[in-house]
Amino acid sequence: MIKIFIDEQQVEVEEGMTVLKAAERAGIHIPHLCYHPAFPPEGSCRMCLVEIEGFPKLELACSTVVKEDMKISIKSARVVEARKAVLEFLLAEHPLDCPICDKAGDCKLQDYYDEYGLFESKFSETKEKREKKLKIGKTLILDQERCILCTRCVRFLKEVTKTQELGVFHRGIDAEVNIYEGAAVLNNYTGNLAQICPVGAITDEDFRFKTRSWFLKEGESICPLCSRGCNILIEYHPGFPRFEVPRRAYRIKARENPEVNGFWVCDRGKYGYSYLEEGRADKIILNKIEGKDVLTWENISEYLGEKIKRVSSAKKTSGIALVLHTWLSNEELFLIHKIFRKGLKVKKIFFADLPQGEADEYLLTSETSPNRRGAQEIGFDIKAVNLDALAKGTDFLLAFGPFLSGLFSLKALKEVLSKVKRKVLISSYLNEVNSLFDIVIPAALIAEKEGSLTNVDGVIQSFKPALEPPGESLPEWKVLADLGKELGTDSKLFEDLNSPGAILGEMGKEIPFFKKK
Amino acid sequence: MSLEFSEKTKKKIEEIIARYPQKEAALLPVLHVTQQEFGFISAVQEKMVAQILGIKPIRVRELVTFYTMLSRESLGKYHIQVCTNLSCHLLGADNFVDYLVEKLGIEPGETTPDKKFTLSKVECLGACERAPCMMINFNYYGEMDPKKVDEILDGLK
Amino acid sequence: MKEKVLTEHFGLESLYKIDVYQKQGGYRATEKALKKMKPAEILEEVKKANLRGRGGAGFPAGVKWSFVPETDKPKYLCVNADEGEPGTFKDRYIMSHNPHMLLEGIIITSFCVGISAAFIYIRGEYEAIALRLEQAISEAYEKGFLGKNILESGFDLDVYVHRGAGAYICGEETALLESLEGKRGNPRLKPPFPASVGLWQCPTVINNVETISNISHIILNGAEWFVKQGLPKDGGTRIFGVSGMVKNPGIYELPLGTSLKDIIFKHAGGMKEGKKLKAVIPGGMSAPILTADEVDIKMDFDSLVEANSMLGSAAIIVIDDKTSILDVLKVVAKFYSHESCGQCTPCRIGNSWINKIVKRIAEGKGKKEDLDSILRLASNIEGNTLCPLGDAAAMPIVSITKKFRKELESKL
Repeated sequence: MIKIFIDEQQVEVEEGMTVLKAAERAGIHIPHLCYHPAFPPEGSCRMCLVEIEGFPKLELACSTVVKEDMKISIKSARVVEARKAVLEFLLAEHPLDCPICDKAGDCKLQDYYDEYGLFESKFSETKEKREKKLKIGKTLILDQERCILCTRCVRFLKEVTKTQELGVFHRGIDAEVNIYEGAAVLNNYTGNLAQICPVGAITDEDFRFKTRSWFLKEGESICPLCSRGCNILIEYHPGFPRFEVPRRAYRIKARENPEVNGFWVCDRGKYGYSYLEEGRADKIILNKIEGKDVLTWENISEYLGEKIKRVSSAKKTSGIALVLHTWLSNEELFLIHKIFRKGLKVKKIFFADLPQGEADEYLLTSETSPNRRGAQEIGFDIKAVNLDALAKGTDFLLAFGPFLSGLFSLKALKEVLSKVKRKVLISSYLNEVNSLFDIVIPAALIAEKEGSLTNVDGVIQSFKPALEPPGESLPEWKVLADLGKELGTDSKLFEDLNSPGAILGEMGKEIPFFKKK
Repeated sequence: MSLEFSEKTKKKIEEIIARYPQKEAALLPVLHVTQQEFGFISAVQEKMVAQILGIKPIRVRELVTFYTMLSRESLGKYHIQVCTNLSCHLLGADNFVDYLVEKLGIEPGETTPDKKFTLSKVECLGACERAPCMMINFNYYGEMDPKKVDEILDGLK
Repeated sequence: MKEKVLTEHFGLESLYKIDVYQKQGGYRATEKALKKMKPAEILEEVKKANLRGRGGAGFPAGVKWSFVPETDKPKYLCVNADEGEPGTFKDRYIMSHNPHMLLEGIIITSFCVGISAAFIYIRGEYEAIALRLEQAISEAYEKGFLGKNILESGFDLDVYVHRGAGAYICGEETALLESLEGKRGNPRLKPPFPASVGLWQCPTVINNVETISNISHIILNGAEWFVKQGLPKDGGTRIFGVSGMVKNPGIYELPLGTSLKDIIFKHAGGMKEGKKLKAVIPGGMSAPILTADEVDIKMDFDSLVEANSMLGSAAIIVIDDKTSILDVLKVVAKFYSHESCGQCTPCRIGNSWINKIVKRIAEGKGKKEDLDSILRLASNIEGNTLCPLGDAAAMPIVSITKKFRKELESKL
């Protein structure tokens, strides 16, 4: 560690760090546009110029490496002057169409003008005319007039996807970003372009004009659409459903995690967020229930506890069957393991997941659920559902998830399930199979609950709720913890397992893989 | 027009590629011989060059639009490039351009209908001591005046 | 005794042929260096000679070479023959009259630094000269001065000519490297400097044609002699290129420190008939302009810096009193706007903005505040750009606007 001074503030930083990164560590933001931590410094926007004692010229914060006792000013009159000059240049040739720009409120150029600019426009020449609405990808629109030539997009396509769909053509004031001969940006990571564009040059039709960014809040989560476990931000409308907006989630953004996804998210993760909204179950459904007419979960858990106890004592545990899936968190799978596999010695455990998909060579894996590895590490044998084996001698079926309907016809399911006396489903979705169960409990999604997932490489990642679960939806860990208490296999333990954190702690004690490193 | 390089050019391109530790470095020299062969570099040529060098055509377009000597449109048989930078300007380059505009009946940047002449105004050609100067294809001509240019142009078949 | 060094034999017919060159003592320096000297001795000699770069920046060549690190990677030499600075044409003379003198410099430099591949990056327009260089190179291969085991020294060297394609910016050394690698001529961030991370990420020496052409003379005659041809801190002669409104435009090889006035009025024959001196650009277009009153000045690095200008490429453009300074400004502004690579903000937009203002003034639509705007914009470009082109544009624009403000104001 070495010490440097940023506007008289002493900061301890690692050797070899750039001024910009060092400042960031100290919580000081140095304005920049072309610099992006995923790439080597480009040095072209000239926004991050700072004054360093002993250097005759202003230096780039993005590329200058700190030295012991370096005295840096990011606020001196000279620096502010230079920053204003760069902003003035950028804005001189910028269309200033912020009111109709989708990026307004989410635009670095706008933010920096607000912070450092606020000058009168002295540009009285004719601005360059360029393409305002070039369709450059599945959902991407390029506005060349708004482009500030930071080339983050070009570098992303060169260095990350290596597909090189965008380039810089012409030079000087005529320089522009463009695609080649109408050949669109076509890869599985196009959604990142709108996110890394610091201005309104690249916008995304998936989001464009659907709402304004300042209405949105963001919550951290983990993408569940494959087993990579990319870290994401879910941008949602906090007013939903009270306000007249059609949905909650408006946009997924990648969240930095060097260990897992770097700065990126694939297009499946980026655009496949309709699962958060569509066809959600938000009420407990009671199709067939004896002797109870109050609909709260507390009553139901008591009721279920009784029924399960009765089956397990009368018929041993061969009367109980489970259908699981690997969207369940480590904690949830562990509770199932504890209660049913260890406690009740249940053997009939099946997994109903979506079929494998196609992987790409980067982040996207072929697994279509987020926690297969977690289930394996807990010791589950991930067996596909065999309907005959499932129904044979089963008096009580506890099923999770909506995927049975995708795997079997309704007719086949109906026939088999009619043989099972009591059936309970815990699922996030309204689904035709729901009618086949006695009770359906709406479940929270990963975005709506707390827990952890184990990704394809064995990285355990914890998550917190980014969104409110709809209606009466409950996180499965809560359902399972309550059942654990009711079933009393180890009621003292289940009293304590009242949060995912506590469950994960217990897991670590029992399974070395989950021990905190 | 053939959409393949001639055997001679293909051989030349191989020679060029062999000079560099990385193939992409051959791009500019290969574009020179491409333009020599086809007269210009449009998307077709860009794709041919890209294929030979194992790069994306967009990389070729980036260069073709950057370097002023590379032309995306077909040029006349004789490309007249008149320097209008300072030394030539001092010695009457503007009048000289005006004279050519009148003589050829085209504006700078245009080609005569018979495809014989293309006229361009360019920056310093590095022959300032011979101002006003011009290039026709790759030949330099200095100390230009109307009489001299008449003689030169009339001598071109 | 100060004499002509580089241009001494330029009058000889067919000097560009190796036989003629050898008759004048050509390749003796190569023999001496490769057979009798160690690379470290050569480096020492070049350092002592105080040979400063002739491209414009004036950085000492020996010091530059000494920055090349010891490494297992290949090392490269790039000869900068891009010669795009308006007013400059000296390298064209050297390469067309005496290509072997350049080749000798290349061989000795490469031997000294441990380089086995050299590229001459020559501006695309110099096609005929590129051909001449290629001929000279093949003659040198035939005579065993290039190729494998040169003069039984165990030293191998290949030399290639690489033509640019029309971009002033490629004369900037890192843009030149990008261009040579087959990319757009966008300058790179420094550091790292090319001496450690250059062509294909390998250590690379980049020197101007005239700089390298001096090497054989230093080797033959020694550093002491070389320093005597110039100034103590700035060895050798300088080839001044004179153009514009003089009677005898051309190149003049003279000692550093020769007065600008003498160069114009003695060597170049004075002003053309009926013309009076109005201003001079003393070191290529990027050098701040001097007025007629300021020409009594020594042409060397320090004297010109003192006069707030620069020696640059020693290209002297002589402007007469009939020329409107607005026209000069127009040419300058248009040039830098046209030649900006477009990579960094201040250069891309600043130069275009200034050009738009100057064009508007020239169209008779100038406004009172325009000159102050030009000065303000130029000062916002200067020092804030990624490469020296920003400064190169700002300096002449500021000096023209300030020194000829009255005349420009009359056009508003």
